[in-house]
Amino acid sequence: MLSRVAERVYWMARYLERTENTARLINVYSSMLLDLPGRMEINWYTLIRLFNADHAFRERYGRVTEENIMRFLIADRDNPASVVSSLLNVRENVRTSLDLLPDEIWQQVNQAHIQMNAALDLIDKRHDRQNVLRAMQQAGQCIRGTLDSHMSRDNTFDFMQIGRHLERADMTSRILEMASMLLSEQRSDNMRKYEGILWTNLLQALSARQMYVRHIHARVDGARVLNFLLTDKVFPGSIGYSLAAMARRMQYLPDPELPMTMAQRIFEHLGEQDLSTIPANQVHPLMDYLQSELGQLHGEIAKTWFYPDYDAHPAPQAQG
Amino acid sequence: MKQEWNVYNPGTFYDELVAAQHQPRKASYKLVDFLRNLTRNRFSQCVRESEAVIREMGITFTVYSDAGNIDRAWPFDIIPRVIPGTEWDRTETGLKQRIRALNMFIQDVYNGGQAIKDGVIPEDVVMQSKGYREACVGITPPHGVWANICGSDLVRHSDGVMYVLEDNLRVPSGVAYMLENRNITKRVIPEIFNLLPVRVVRDYPSHLYEMLASLRPELEQPTIALLTPGIYNSAYFEHAFLAQQAGLVLLEGADLVVGKDDYVYMKTINGLERVDVIYRRIDDEFIDPEVFREDSILGIPGIMRAWKKGKVAIANAPGCGVADDKVIYAYVPDMIRYYLGEEPSLPNVPTWVCRRPEDREYVLDHLPELVVKPANESGGYGMLVGPHSTAEKVEEFRKLIQENPNNYIAQPTLSLSVTPTVTDKGIAPRHLDLRPFILSGKDIYVTPGGLTRVALVEGSLVVNSSQGGGSKDTWIVDEYGTEEYEEGEDE
Repeated sequence: MLSRVAERVYWMARYLERTENTARLINVYSSMLLDLPGRMEINWYTLIRLFNADHAFRERYGRVTEENIMRFLIADRDNPASVVSSLLNVRENVRTSLDLLPDEIWQQVNQAHIQMNAALDLIDKRHDRQNVLRAMQQAGQCIRGTLDSHMSRDNTFDFMQIGRHLERADMTSRILEMASMLLSEQRSDNMRKYEGILWTNLLQALSARQMYVRHIHARVDGARVLNFLLTDKVFPGSIGYSLAAMARRMQYLPDPELPMTMAQRIFEHLGEQDLSTIPANQVHPLMDYLQSELGQLHGEIAKTWFYPDYDAHPAPQAQG
Repeated sequence: MKQEWNVYNPGTFYDELVAAQHQPRKASYKLVDFLRNLTRNRFSQCVRESEAVIREMGITFTVYSDAGNIDRAWPFDIIPRVIPGTEWDRTETGLKQRIRALNMFIQDVYNGGQAIKDGVIPEDVVMQSKGYREACVGITPPHGVWANICGSDLVRHSDGVMYVLEDNLRVPSGVAYMLENRNITKRVIPEIFNLLPVRVVRDYPSHLYEMLASLRPELEQPTIALLTPGIYNSAYFEHAFLAQQAGLVLLEGADLVVGKDDYVYMKTINGLERVDVIYRRIDDEFIDPEVFREDSILGIPGIMRAWKKGKVAIANAPGCGVADDKVIYAYVPDMIRYYLGEEPSLPNVPTWVCRRPEDREYVLDHLPELVVKPANESGGYGMLVGPHSTAEKVEEFRKLIQENPNNYIAQPTLSLSVTPTVTDKGIAPRHLDLRPFILSGKDIYVTPGGLTRVALVEGSLVVNSSQGGGSKDTWIVDEYGTEEYEEGEDE
């Protein structure tokens, strides 16, 4: 497998995960706001902070309004984190790796792309916005389902899984960080009254609610949700699961030692935390740490497989 | 749609589907009958659906413009073009004969030049060909074949005869669109395939793979790659599509290195892996900065060395473009007689070679009625079409020919055939051509049909998609399945 192509399918999987996750997050967040009384301090702008996009948003939009924030997060091609940009990146990466993917993928990506572009002018309306975001989640699920069903479990698939799980872990940590920040702020006394709603929505934003309810058998509360999303061994959306999945995929790849050790180290660090002693409102330093570690893990993956130093290899021998 | 088909009038042109008195030709009878029995609504729905399918299937081509590159949806016309099977069989025989002679000619050019010594083709004509590569002298590629993939352009004149207009031997494109056109038709009007025995095109990718593999007969499972200039190339869609369909590794120059042992390697996650056959979709000028253009960033330094030593096969072979030249084209019938001892079974368009004084005199006397072409341009650029041109333009070409007669040929202005095409004003006749693809390795394979390109502008003869051309699905229909319908039968 070409190194350059490995990088493309890895990013394809990341952007695909990002498209779906961002769409779901925005929809769940919108629905949560409808559950909360109007006087709450929590607002649309929290979403901008979640993506660390304060600066980019302020630069391009004068006023903080629901419409502007939604345009920025969904339809703005100049915002690299927007749904439309993520989808465009999926398409570009698929377009350049057609020779490795099942036939249907290209068509499914184009369909999503056409659907998204046709809806760009409608997103100011909540109702239409919800529909298009739901369609994007479904498109992501459809493409992922095709890949899962029809792709050989070869190195191409390994890179996709690694990309998917790294992106997912990153998103989960950002969402947890947001929740923690909401609860930690002084003015959030009000928020704490609605903590249950917050955690339920958070689980929903990660498609984790039903599995939580089934496996935890307890009321939704911060400490349990945190524990579930960080360390659950069988839920594929927990950060611990993602790290383990990445490490498992890496062992099928050539010379995996450095990135694999790194993924395991982050995994162990998580295991060492006594999560029941960390108040939910003080989780964000841990999440900060996680995000920076995941960033470094990405760097290590790129160095090992995408941009290796070919001169360092022994003189190549002709194969039989 | 009956009314619309009844008033359809190709005028004095030869029409591919319809003979005189609005009667469909024998091979297209069932198709035309199917179409004219559709309601206007149903037909419009088919047209709209074909457009949606093209967007969904992501079939695009790139147009270069001042404002940057634009990805455009592939222009497709829903009404297929039909060629009777018996006619196609003769055409296929002619195309095979032609490519054999062309390959023998290229082999000769770089190995002794016997045809030049025997006076069949003038030496300076060969030497002035832009595709001639000194670096290829003395080389014999596998099976002695240089042009492994050829796309020849055929046109039909009002005499009903199919002529070869040119042979694209360097990096001919369009075959992916031929395949996709069939896929679109199958999706939009699937019913029609029950009515007619249409020859299958979809195994082209496996023939391509086999041909490429045959270039390294000593290897059991050669690694075969398609070398693309990258996503900004106008044919990138086709490169990715062919790699996907045929199972080739899609790569760019930067993915390859030539090792100290002169083998070609690709940069993989496992380190360097050998590549045995390269289907290049970049011009040979750019393929090796050590030998050709130093400024090429698309190429692979040292790859010519690897090729000459037989450590990698390259299709088409570098240097094969020597025969892709409009002056050399004029000599192809002579080549066929000289190398094969046969009469050409597919005619050339009659061609005056301006380097011959008597030809030149004729051309200069008849410029306003002729088509003048420079030796080495493609895509319809740099041409004079006398009858559709201005007096100034004619004079401009008169000067060009007088200054550099060796660079020009002239041909009569053909009256290209037409075929019913969907236009803003309903179904109307439009001019068209045909590009079949010929694969040559150990064996020769010709696509049944090829890519039909159609000039969408009324009266226009320019079929290039970069200049407003469209395309059609091309059907080779065996008439034995249609015999019960005699010409003259109506409704």
